Amino acid sequence: MKKAGFVFAAGTLLALAAPLAAYIGPGAGFAFLSSFLVLFLTFLMALFSFLSWPFRFLWKALRGRRAYKKSSIHRLVVLGLDGMEPTLAEKFMAEGKLPNLARLKKEGTYARLKTTTPAISPVAWSSFMTGSEPSKHNIFDFLSRDPRTYLPDLSSARIGKPKRTVALGKYLIPISKPEIRGMRKSVPFWKILGEKGIFSTVLRVPITFPPEKFKGHLLSGMCAPDLKGSQGTFAFFTEDADKVRRHEGGVAVLVAREGNRIRTEISGPENTLLKKPEEMRLPLAITIDEEAKGAWLEIQGQKKFLLKEKTFSPWVPIAFRPGLGMKIRAICKFYIVALEPKFEMYMTPLNIDPEKPALPISHPFIYSVYLSKLLGRFITLGEANDTWALNEGALDEKAFLELTYANHAEWEAMFWNALSKTPRGMVAIVFETTDSIQHMFFRYLDKAHPALKAAPARMSAAVIEELYKKMDDLVGRVAATLDEKSVLFVMSDHGFKSFRRGVNLNSWLHQNGYLTLVEGKKESAEWFKDVDWDRTKAYGLGLGGIYLNLKGREARGIVAAGAECGALKAELVRKLTALKDGANGPAAVTNVYDRDAVYSGPYKENAPDLIIGYNEGYRASWDGVTGIVNAVVIDDNTKAWSGDHCIDPALVPGVLFSNLKIKTASPSIMDIAPTVLELFGLTPPAHMDGRGLVDVAGLPGAKKRKPS
Amino acid sequence: MGIVNLVFGRVVDIVLLPFRGASPWFGLATVSLLTALLMLEVYKLTSNQAAIRRAKDRIKAHLLELRLFQDSMRVTLRAQAAILKANLSYLTANLKPLLVMIVPLFLILAQLGLWFDRAPLRPGEETLVKVGLEENADPVSIPMELETSSGLEIASPAVRIPDEHEVAWRLKATAAGPGRLTLRVGGLTLVKSVAVGGKSLTKVSPLASRGSLWKQALYPGERALPAGTPVRSIEILYPAKNLSIFGLRVHWLVAYLILSIAFGLAFKGVLKVEV
Repeated sequence: MKKAGFVFAAGTLLALAAPLAAYIGPGAGFAFLSSFLVLFLTFLMALFSFLSWPFRFLWKALRGRRAYKKSSIHRLVVLGLDGMEPTLAEKFMAEGKLPNLARLKKEGTYARLKTTTPAISPVAWSSFMTGSEPSKHNIFDFLSRDPRTYLPDLSSARIGKPKRTVALGKYLIPISKPEIRGMRKSVPFWKILGEKGIFSTVLRVPITFPPEKFKGHLLSGMCAPDLKGSQGTFAFFTEDADKVRRHEGGVAVLVAREGNRIRTEISGPENTLLKKPEEMRLPLAITIDEEAKGAWLEIQGQKKFLLKEKTFSPWVPIAFRPGLGMKIRAICKFYIVALEPKFEMYMTPLNIDPEKPALPISHPFIYSVYLSKLLGRFITLGEANDTWALNEGALDEKAFLELTYANHAEWEAMFWNALSKTPRGMVAIVFETTDSIQHMFFRYLDKAHPALKAAPARMSAAVIEELYKKMDDLVGRVAATLDEKSVLFVMSDHGFKSFRRGVNLNSWLHQNGYLTLVEGKKESAEWFKDVDWDRTKAYGLGLGGIYLNLKGREARGIVAAGAECGALKAELVRKLTALKDGANGPAAVTNVYDRDAVYSGPYKENAPDLIIGYNEGYRASWDGVTGIVNAVVIDDNTKAWSGDHCIDPALVPGVLFSNLKIKTASPSIMDIAPTVLELFGLTPPAHMDGRGLVDVAGLPGAKKRKPS
Repeated sequence: MGIVNLVFGRVVDIVLLPFRGASPWFGLATVSLLTALLMLEVYKLTSNQAAIRRAKDRIKAHLLELRLFQDSMRVTLRAQAAILKANLSYLTANLKPLLVMIVPLFLILAQLGLWFDRAPLRPGEETLVKVGLEENADPVSIPMELETSSGLEIASPAVRIPDEHEVAWRLKATAAGPGRLTLRVGGLTLVKSVAVGGKSLTKVSPLASRGSLWKQALYPGERALPAGTPVRSIEILYPAKNLSIFGLRVHWLVAYLILSIAFGLAFKGVLKVEV
């Protein structure tokens, strides 16, 4: 009331003063000019909107009628909870802790959802969106390999330099666009919906970078890179030289204190404008303020702000200047882990600034700008939650959870915005919160986990229970917004199990004579540095793949295709399925899948020759995944990353909840896409492997469809 | 008020000193630049920058929304309403800096008016001198005598206009240089400066008044007339100053507005001011 009075009085004063003063300064001048411009623009748009409304209404009615002519529903919401484990969901439901999911189960559907082979998020979500098995969408793991070099590649996208450049002094000026190519093939179901005029909003679904054009809005999810082009490189500034030496992930920066001041640098992306590319850096000055229990951060001598110890900064926009007046913008958060005795500070990976994206992260391009302006800056990195920072000790568990839930809140805000603006059509979102927290806290559910012996427990199983309750609450809030013509699918791409022991496939292959090291070497450094390819028959790469060193395919292949290849595969399958953890220990591998038996699509040739189905409690070891060969085949996993799903797919199905009844007891993740299409009255394309889950004809108010 | 006028007057005099012989555009551009920088700083200090940024972001977001959801009448109508609401928030966030800036800006504008609004008399040019009297004073019966300094002469006897409470003379400038009019009313003497010729940028005070604070602020070129006489003001009708660009006449206030906004826009990024 007081404020309103002030506003009124000030307004009156200004109105009276206006004719006298006419003009009241540049600042206020801009304000009034901008305001006038906005009013003018809004008026014009409103006028255009009203005048064109009859035509648009007519067009929409004609098109819309066609689009929704056969649709049984108005709106479909897919709420993806990456990695939600069915046994945990069932347990918590039985205990009455997930009332909203339990209601969906009671009134609609609950089933375990068959995942893909392998049970890895990029693979499973690609099958979700295309309705196809992996050899039809070409995603088999996070990593693929280059058979010419035996080195890993990111499986989902290629980001290359521009093909055409012009040299100017020390610069190479690009005159063509850089190559940004998605590697996922086949067609996502929202593209098919769009072709029929049905609008979709797709948020953070994995393997949607680079974004594809379709009728709708999309914000890329898992596999969207950071500004350095990596899948997330955090920085850790520390005065502790030991920690710098020990670090495995991210960038560890050794800093020195002079008085209360630390001068260091933020490591940025490579400057590809230069003929000799070099890393761009921004000066970072840190002034420790003991009284304030924090530090003043000054980036590039400009942005200065106080950051309290153990508090996350908001998103800080920063800009790198590669030259020629260009700016590459990023956003990051800072967190002071400790001021004393040694200063330690974490910095998130440099996220692409959604307000001024250096790479396309949304469709249309302005969608991320819109979200950022409306809801504030948000995390854009695909692998958003910094699990590796917790693994490395750059963040503690409490800070990790705080950061993860802050990311989650940003996605929720986008989700609610999309729901409020999509009364008809499809909204899909995938929250990776469930996946990240389970990866990092699963050991608290497994009292025998080696990580609990290696480091004292600071938290408890309540973290995961709390996570499930939060997700249940979200489901409840979403369900409350649905009308009788809306459909909700709550699903996960796979489940979760404890990851106690790591299996180094490359060490096993070496010990069993399939992988040979160069003379004099007993171990190999990362990425097969010391492997003698001329005497190697097979190698493991990624989270569960074995590739044969095939003649004509691999650069230095020695295994002939055909009978020799078949015999080698059979031998490996036999031996690996017999692999025990100790003489009388449990089997480490329950199944080995031959790609020729499980895949039939056009990209089968890009798949690993064998896919390892690890037993519960096992997974590819940290060393094995990165191509290290050593004397240890199976060892304890003592990292905080203590839960996983990259095991035998039969052991880690996902979950499927819906407010609709489904007609099968064993749905597959590939069934979602055809089901969505059928609910909107469309016939799924023949290449989809999934089958519709819902008896559409039996739905209330269902429209009759001609059989296709 | 006299001290305030003196301080502001001196500052503007010093700023414009190097430009007196040059085209008035140089002086105007310099003053525009300096006031833009000053007002940007004032704006930055007195405004809620975060609120302004938020309001602007919301406006931009809803403008983008109009484009993103152009097929949805419901969303576009809501977006338009949201734009108007955000615009109101933006204006509200501007009130405080606006109120703070209005006083110094007004004083600066009044000072600039002395330099850019009127041109001095040219030698040989005639104009009117008007003496305004109190409402109850009779211009016919009050004895009044006007004397000039060298370079000026009275070209016609006084014309007394009872209805207007005014006495007017025709004044002729005969030589360049600062002149002076001395008005004798009863036993008192009132003095008014006169500008004749001079450089292209010359300070011209058209009116000396004894009136309110408002009048003193509006016409800060001369000291207030003393009390004790029926004379309210002495005004010289100087010709308007000719400020033109590409053959087009531009009012100095318009030019100042455009220039200061242009400079403000150019420097708001440098000074990190959200406007």
